[in-house]
Amino acid sequence: MGTYILRRLIQGVVVILVASMFCFVIFQYMGDPALNMVGQYASFEEIREVREMLGLDQPIYVQYLKFIWNALHGNFGKSYVTRVPALGLILERFPATFELVTVAVLLAFFTGVSLGVLVSLKPYAMRNRFIMALSLGGVSIPTFLIGIVLIMIFAAYLGLLPAFGRGDTIQVGFWRTGFLTISGLRHLILPAVTLAMYQLAVLLRLTRAGMREVLTEEYIKTAWAKGLPPRKVIFKHALRNVMIPVVTMTGLQFGELIAFSIVTETIFQWPGMGNLLLTSIYEGDQPVIVTYIMLAALIIITANIVVDILYAVINPRIRYD
Amino acid sequence: MWWLATFTENPPVAVLPYKTPHRRRIITERRNIMKKTYRLLFIAVMALICLAAAAPALAQSKMVVAQDTPPRMMNPHGDDSDAGLSYMANFFDGLLQRKGAQGELLPGLAVKWDHPDLLTWRFFLRKGVTFHNGNAFNAADVKFTFERLVDPEVSEFTNTGKQIESVEIIDDYTVAIKTKMPIPWFANNMHQVFIMDKESTESRDPGDVMVKPIGTGAYMLNEWVKGSYIRMKANPDYWEGAPPVDTVEVRPITESSTRFAALVSGQVDIVTGVPVELYDKIVNNPKLTVVSRPARRSIFLGIGNKPGTPTADIRVRKAMYMAINEDEIIEKIMRGHAAPAAQVPDPPTIGYNPDIERLPYNPAAARELLAEAGYADGFDITLTGPNDRYVQDAKIAEAVARYLAKVGIRVELDVKPKSVFFPEVTKGILDFYLIGWFDGTFDMGRTYFKLAHTRDEEKGMGVFNGAAFSDPDIDRLLESTADIVDPAQREKTLQALNKMAMVDKIVWIPLHYQEDLYAIQKGKGIQFQPRPDRWMVYKEISR
Repeated sequence: MGTYILRRLIQGVVVILVASMFCFVIFQYMGDPALNMVGQYASFEEIREVREMLGLDQPIYVQYLKFIWNALHGNFGKSYVTRVPALGLILERFPATFELVTVAVLLAFFTGVSLGVLVSLKPYAMRNRFIMALSLGGVSIPTFLIGIVLIMIFAAYLGLLPAFGRGDTIQVGFWRTGFLTISGLRHLILPAVTLAMYQLAVLLRLTRAGMREVLTEEYIKTAWAKGLPPRKVIFKHALRNVMIPVVTMTGLQFGELIAFSIVTETIFQWPGMGNLLLTSIYEGDQPVIVTYIMLAALIIITANIVVDILYAVINPRIRYD
Repeated sequence: MWWLATFTENPPVAVLPYKTPHRRRIITERRNIMKKTYRLLFIAVMALICLAAAAPALAQSKMVVAQDTPPRMMNPHGDDSDAGLSYMANFFDGLLQRKGAQGELLPGLAVKWDHPDLLTWRFFLRKGVTFHNGNAFNAADVKFTFERLVDPEVSEFTNTGKQIESVEIIDDYTVAIKTKMPIPWFANNMHQVFIMDKESTESRDPGDVMVKPIGTGAYMLNEWVKGSYIRMKANPDYWEGAPPVDTVEVRPITESSTRFAALVSGQVDIVTGVPVELYDKIVNNPKLTVVSRPARRSIFLGIGNKPGTPTADIRVRKAMYMAINEDEIIEKIMRGHAAPAAQVPDPPTIGYNPDIERLPYNPAAARELLAEAGYADGFDITLTGPNDRYVQDAKIAEAVARYLAKVGIRVELDVKPKSVFFPEVTKGILDFYLIGWFDGTFDMGRTYFKLAHTRDEEKGMGVFNGAAFSDPDIDRLLESTADIVDPAQREKTLQALNKMAMVDKIVWIPLHYQEDLYAIQKGKGIQFQPRPDRWMVYKEISR
């Protein structure tokens, strides 16, 4: 198992390097950061000076190697837009994204799995067909539409929930949390629901499909025959065998959402990492973009490795070597 | 934790609790489940009601504003865009300031200023002003500020900084700034250069300077949570008197529909940057009012005149001008929220010539002119433009392409993000492009040097002359204005230059002036007069 983890980690490092190399190649086509930094009234001379200062006049591979060398020492460069260290800028927004994604994933997991179990028991009942139709909507309706509709209904017309932002947050050490204030929790509701919709629908369908398959198995029939209470049969025997792909899926989604919940964060003006990535792309803030991509790759790779290990732990038949 | 053991395949029998007979267990379990679910449901509903009812009430001495752009940093020299300066104007002051509908230049931290010779500008400073940290304001702070401008690490005003030869402290409250060459509009720019406190800026960590502003302004920064809000509170010792509103909370919201929702739901009092599509919705809402004013920014099309290209012939340029139906663009695309422009500078700017008129829309005459010039079958040209910079910029470009197609000119549309578009403009490689401009100095001279003068790398001219338009007559007249300082004389010469450029040479095809739209909550007594430069200076707003 140890060598397996090591191998996966090395693969992860390769992926991160390739992703960052890609970014540097694309930056050549993204415009001129020096122009953004000198202001509108600068002369050619000044633009050239700033370009030299930023090291943009050197060939790509030199810039790339310098970047990797600095990165190994923990220096990911300074944002072109705000002139503060890029890594710090991103990590500052990590708590916001993390809290949003955690709540969304928990919501999606518990609601999705419960509804999935419910729907699998009597698949052709009216209520269950209705839920399946809604799940189809959850999968196909784009996130921004769900978000805007929720804002319109709950914030604009009913005035029940706030339309944007994180509310009042409390700084606990280096972590700025919204969990400790009523305002923070209220602001969390709409974005978390929006983000959870798609995952919820996916998990619902996954659970339903798995349950339908497992419920026809022999050992389930034995359990019913034994006279076990329904709750035991469904949850203890059937659901646990369905959980493996569900947990895997949830873990992967968690990693992916942390890295790329851009749309929801933009709509709700949620001060998270996704929002930062979008504005950085618009402004051509190269250090932040490449640092972010590397961090996103790291998060997703870690999530994948953790999920694979968890898979092996849950299912003792899986062996890695 | 005995129940955890049930997750294993075969729990040891000793761990399981006493098992009641199956049937009784089913009945009690069912009843318990019902009780539990109802209880949970009840609690959930109660919680939801409590959360919904606990809507925070807005304090009365407070104002919440939703702006469309967030601040990049709290360093007043680091961002020379109007969006950034808008925030800084609250925490800092410049030597001069601009107020009023025409942007009149008034004393700020300098009570008086004069111009003893072509290169020297003297400022007499205000006494008794203190920074937010208690330090006294004097000439040393002014010298420090201007010398800081040349460092590209901390300043985007390198252009202004490099024009300065020296800053001389005559005494504690008098400063003389010498420029390297005569710059007639130098003082006009002083409302954008904010004075920083020498001692605290030097002693602090540069990272701290980026997030904590220490200035002389009407407001002090209370809290800045990046991406969420900026809270500022009134400076009671402000030299102009404490501002009327005690606390201002600015919430930058970049997504326009979210901004609109925030206004409708009553979470914010003022909203800037209302998109033209939402205008009707806001006007029809009884709780909201729209405040608008004509913007200073004019939108126009730049054309090249390289010998050998079709646009080198002035008849072709004239034809293109007359082929575009600007009134329809204003009506359909800008939804009526624009005013037709006949020139690039706006009315308050020195150099604005009221005698210049737009060429009328006349596609038949345009086609005749094209035939005369030898292009009866039209020609191909590429129209480049940004798609995320000006109001409806991409749509305007599309419309222009369509109008030109009707007179036979085949236009290939090339719209792109501003971060890619503007570097192309500075390279001067475009044929035909859409751009907008206005000059913060209210003097047309600087604009023309950047936009109309032949590209000259050494002298730093024509940086934004995107199609490399070049005309020696214009260059000559423009260069002659550099030495003229008398405002009346400047006005005459610049007006003549403007007329030459727009009527005789057709350097650009002007389209329209944008309109700035804001929305405020009715019935809260908010007095808000938008500024021409779109800055939100909260000491000027009251409720």
